[in-house]
Amino acid sequence: MRLRSVVSMDTIPSDLGLVARVTNLVKTYGVAPTSVTALDGVSLGIRRGEFTAIMGPSGSGKSTLMHIMAGLDTPTSGRVWIGDDEITGMNDRELTLTRRRRVGFVFQSFNLVPTLDVGANIRFPFELDGRTPDAAERAWIDEIVGSLGLADRLRHRPSELSGGQQQRVAIARALASRPALVFADEPTGNLDSRTGREVLRLLASAASQSGQSIAMVTHDPIAASHADRVVVLADGRIVADLPGGTAEEISRAMLEIEARA
Amino acid sequence: MSGRRDHAPTVLVAALSSAFGTGLFGVTDVLVATVRADDMWGQSDAMQIILTIVSAVFIAIAVYVSGVVTVNTVATVVAGRTREIALTRLLGATAGSRRRILAREGLVAGLVGALLGVAVGAGLVIGGTRLAVLAGALPDLDYPALSPLALPLAGLVALTTWVAAWVGTRRVLDVSPIAALAAAGPADGDEVRRRRGRRAVAIVSVALGSLLLVGALVVGMQDASGMLIGVVGGIVSFTGVVIGAVFVVPIVLRGVGALLGRGAAARVGAANATRYPERSSRSTIGLIIGVTLVTTFIVAGSTLGEMIRVKSAATFGSTEPVDGLLAQLMGVFGVLVGYSALIAAVGLVNALTVGVLQRTREFGLLRALGFSRSQVRATVIAEASTLTITAVVCGLVLGILYGWIGANSLFASELGRLAPPVVPWWLVVGVAAVAAVLTIVASLVPARRAAALSPVVALAA
Repeated sequence: MRLRSVVSMDTIPSDLGLVARVTNLVKTYGVAPTSVTALDGVSLGIRRGEFTAIMGPSGSGKSTLMHIMAGLDTPTSGRVWIGDDEITGMNDRELTLTRRRRVGFVFQSFNLVPTLDVGANIRFPFELDGRTPDAAERAWIDEIVGSLGLADRLRHRPSELSGGQQQRVAIARALASRPALVFADEPTGNLDSRTGREVLRLLASAASQSGQSIAMVTHDPIAASHADRVVVLADGRIVADLPGGTAEEISRAMLEIEARA
Repeated sequence: MSGRRDHAPTVLVAALSSAFGTGLFGVTDVLVATVRADDMWGQSDAMQIILTIVSAVFIAIAVYVSGVVTVNTVATVVAGRTREIALTRLLGATAGSRRRILAREGLVAGLVGALLGVAVGAGLVIGGTRLAVLAGALPDLDYPALSPLALPLAGLVALTTWVAAWVGTRRVLDVSPIAALAAAGPADGDEVRRRRGRRAVAIVSVALGSLLLVGALVVGMQDASGMLIGVVGGIVSFTGVVIGAVFVVPIVLRGVGALLGRGAAARVGAANATRYPERSSRSTIGLIIGVTLVTTFIVAGSTLGEMIRVKSAATFGSTEPVDGLLAQLMGVFGVLVGYSALIAAVGLVNALTVGVLQRTREFGLLRALGFSRSQVRATVIAEASTLTITAVVCGLVLGILYGWIGANSLFASELGRLAPPVVPWWLVVGVAAVAAVLTIVASLVPARRAAALSPVVALAA
């Protein structure tokens, strides 16, 4: 039992049940007077095992927030943690290793290494570390591959797969090394609605089974309705933090926010 | 429009081959002029004909290689402009008109390069002659300023570039207007379509050429005319190799790639080298031609020299000085042919640089997933070394084979048996050094650019 009872600036995120956390995040592009503020004082924690949707209209800063939380971009000011480690101020090498070992990614498109087959793409996070999955990890990968329906596709190249299949491979890769946190950037943006629903269901159930957290950036209320929590951004600030909901409820909330703006 | 810089390698390649031709013809004129100055038996005319023919052969090789390089350069330009071409198609342009524009750009680049090359080549000859006269190595004569063959040569180079550009733009016809809207990255294209005809021609040429080469050895055991059969066999079989490179080179590339190791960077790099079999084959075939010919001349010269040494030692108990002269002649031929390898190297460097720049998003993905900067750099270096090692190994193997057959078809009858090939160690070391230098030069710029990419910027590209 740790002797840390007061929540202060130095509280480590795991004490709060968080796998990732940002405080007072500011990101500006360019220099004054023409500078653009993408994030304007955002503080947010992603809870363990939770599926969080980050929503907002175009230009609201949701992608920038994801990029900074995932260590792909650096904030102008503010602090960022992944797990208990503060990544603000990490050098490129440390950030690279953090992404490699502790974070999974599913992008809207162009998710897979085109020259590697499906199996090699899924094992890619291990290969980056110069190792092969051990028996337990192989069993876990087999399980994911089975539940995502990819077992008979392992020798296929990405170009031989449909968009939905490619996203499923990306999900398998993101879950394979059991990172605490998976970032998904509009993962259904390029899919038809039925395939999109299926991908989201798989993402949600895979994460809840393995206790991994998911932070998904989207502007689609239907996609967000799969989440346990919906955080809404507008003009670089968090304007709502909802405990999930149906697509209709989320749409209504979004429209109200738009109307207020 | 995405600028004229795309055509810089085409201009450079055209300039290199026309400068080479102008220089060789110029040197021929200077040599003939010195002989003609005190020509008693009219040998200068015969000399002029022989030297011009020999020069023409080497120039033809250089122009051919530069044509292959330009086909590839233009194909890479087309790949880079796919979005732009698709957009103009979407707005109503025909594929044919797009192709003609690109081919015309190729013609202009070829003309500029060819004339530039003539100027540089003539300048070098004039300057070199002046220096030699000052140093007392040449008599002070009124040397011709520019070979009358230089301008027709420039025309040939420009024409070759135009034809090469036309061949290289074939892909334009495959760009569908809808590609302008697609969010997809560069397609993982297997460019080699089913071309039974090409495969058949390649197999027949290689088989026929090999038969002739074997015949050359058999005849060569009886008398020196085996050499003539050998030359025909060499040309026929090597033509087959060049035509069939697109089927064979990828296999060698995969083999070499596998040797680089199983690390993530090595694997991705090697896979990148084989993903566009047609482009990779064209990138390497110029270098294969160069290395093969250099090796052929040097191995033939060394093997022949050794055979003559063995023969004269057996007959007279001493070595004749002729083998040294022969080795020198072969060395000169080797250097002249090596120039084609230089042109091919320009093509290889360009193909790799442009290829990496066109794959910005892919490197962004790798960085996002946890590739370190040094792993990105290692990926590019692995791709470059896969290409250069493949070219050099293929060239060495073929060259040793051709050189060995050449020497034996000419001299085995004198020796009464087949002699083993003599491969000078400095040749192997030199060729390996060239491969290493080329790998470094070819990966320098793209490796730095790829490593410097920010993942966020690259993914958005």
